[in-house]
Amino acid sequence: MSFSERMLKIDRRIIFLMIGLCTLLPLLYPVGLPIKISSEVRGVYDHIESLPERSVFLLSIDFDPASKPELHPQAIALLRHAFRKNLRVIAMTLWVSGTGMADQLVTQVAQELGKEYGKDYAFLGWSPGGQAVIINMGQNLYSAFPSDYSGKPTKDLPILDGVRNLKDVTYMVSLGAGRPGVEEWYVFGKDKYKFEMGGGCTGVMAPGLYPLLRSGQINGLIGGLRGAAEYESLIGQKGKAVAGMDAQSATHVAIIVLVIMCNLFYFSLRRASQTQGQVG
Amino acid sequence: MIFLRRQLPLLITLITGLLFAGQYYVPHPASEQMLTSATKWLQIIGGFALILGVTSLFHQHAVKIKRQEAGWGYSFVLYAGMLGTIAAGLWADGKESVDGAMTAFGWVYNFMMVPLQGTMFAILAFFIASAAYRSFRARSREAAVLLVAAVIVMMGRVPLGEYLIPLSGDVSSWILNVLNSSVRRAILIGVSLGAIALSFKIIFGVERSYLGGGKE
Repeated sequence: MSFSERMLKIDRRIIFLMIGLCTLLPLLYPVGLPIKISSEVRGVYDHIESLPERSVFLLSIDFDPASKPELHPQAIALLRHAFRKNLRVIAMTLWVSGTGMADQLVTQVAQELGKEYGKDYAFLGWSPGGQAVIINMGQNLYSAFPSDYSGKPTKDLPILDGVRNLKDVTYMVSLGAGRPGVEEWYVFGKDKYKFEMGGGCTGVMAPGLYPLLRSGQINGLIGGLRGAAEYESLIGQKGKAVAGMDAQSATHVAIIVLVIMCNLFYFSLRRASQTQGQVG
Repeated sequence: MIFLRRQLPLLITLITGLLFAGQYYVPHPASEQMLTSATKWLQIIGGFALILGVTSLFHQHAVKIKRQEAGWGYSFVLYAGMLGTIAAGLWADGKESVDGAMTAFGWVYNFMMVPLQGTMFAILAFFIASAAYRSFRARSREAAVLLVAAVIVMMGRVPLGEYLIPLSGDVSSWILNVLNSSVRRAILIGVSLGAIALSFKIIFGVERSYLGGGKE
């Protein structure tokens, strides 16, 4: 067996070890390379920045713990920004398995910034139906969510004064890890009820949402951990996303090196077999 | 019986299909009220679908355990996990914490579900790296184009890549915004036209496979 053949059949545990080290070492010894801000992320930031105080900001936390590493930092950065701007924050989720996590993160950021439940923010929780919930909220928010996550009637929440349905929402961001997520919020929500909307998603989903972004159907897109790191840099409060960027950098470069190596070995093997064929 | 099995569902599909397709374009309060009611029904049906799904899952795994089929132990774990979580959830009234103190349901969620789901997702990074090494080869021109584009996007999406090759960020952005967007949009338009055509076929009874293939 030639060297190239042996390298192409390398034990996958070596690759696992390499990726593990590329993830672990930068987390232990951060480098802190500068993060360039993209126009996609700036779109969401600038829009929130332009909103007047007490505008209604709806955040739909449409992910579960599986996507927590990428979307949780996005949600925290967005909430910090919205609370600092004194917006009325209404949070909810379309993913039942994300309800507890969403409640914890909203409460955590609200407490950190000294916000009062019911007056400055509310968490509506989860309601069954997926996209039907979006349409129902567009028709009548109190019909879709008669009570909030803690069981209080939504009609009694001062934060919802003057909010009847999605038409009264000033800005909405869906942080989606799949369906229902950003696309459903656009198709069943924004398109009919005409509110401004931005999106956030996992890195792997981001390319699929670029058509919505380029056509102006959403005014910004926070993609993956990189997007979260950009948003953290924009609000000037670095968190887990910025910390994770070094690890992601090292892992990406490691995968690129692996792909280049595998192609070099592949071509060397192909060349060798062609030469052998000619000789034969 | 044929009327109940075939003609009535087709009639319901025809009427509701046309009604709700038209509803989108009629902003009259009565039309909006009809949509509000219908979406409320959908939410309620969604809730029942959840019960149906759980029941079906229970039934499927009960059969596996009863027959002691291969991997029946996993079915047993599923049963124990589901029943345990349901019991903890009912006991805690669906709350993860009460007055700041974590309930048993919250414990299951925070210390079992969250790390397990996170672990499953994190493992992907290792498998993707291994799979990329084994299969991402420039065997043809098309594969070579894909490979080069992937390498540029991967470099351009991380600070280290932009530091090593400063142009990679802009090129990656161009690939995503221009090439990727246009191709995705073309696919989206094609899929949407197909969905419209299929909807018409269902509304007008041309496509009837959703009725099932039972005896008439």
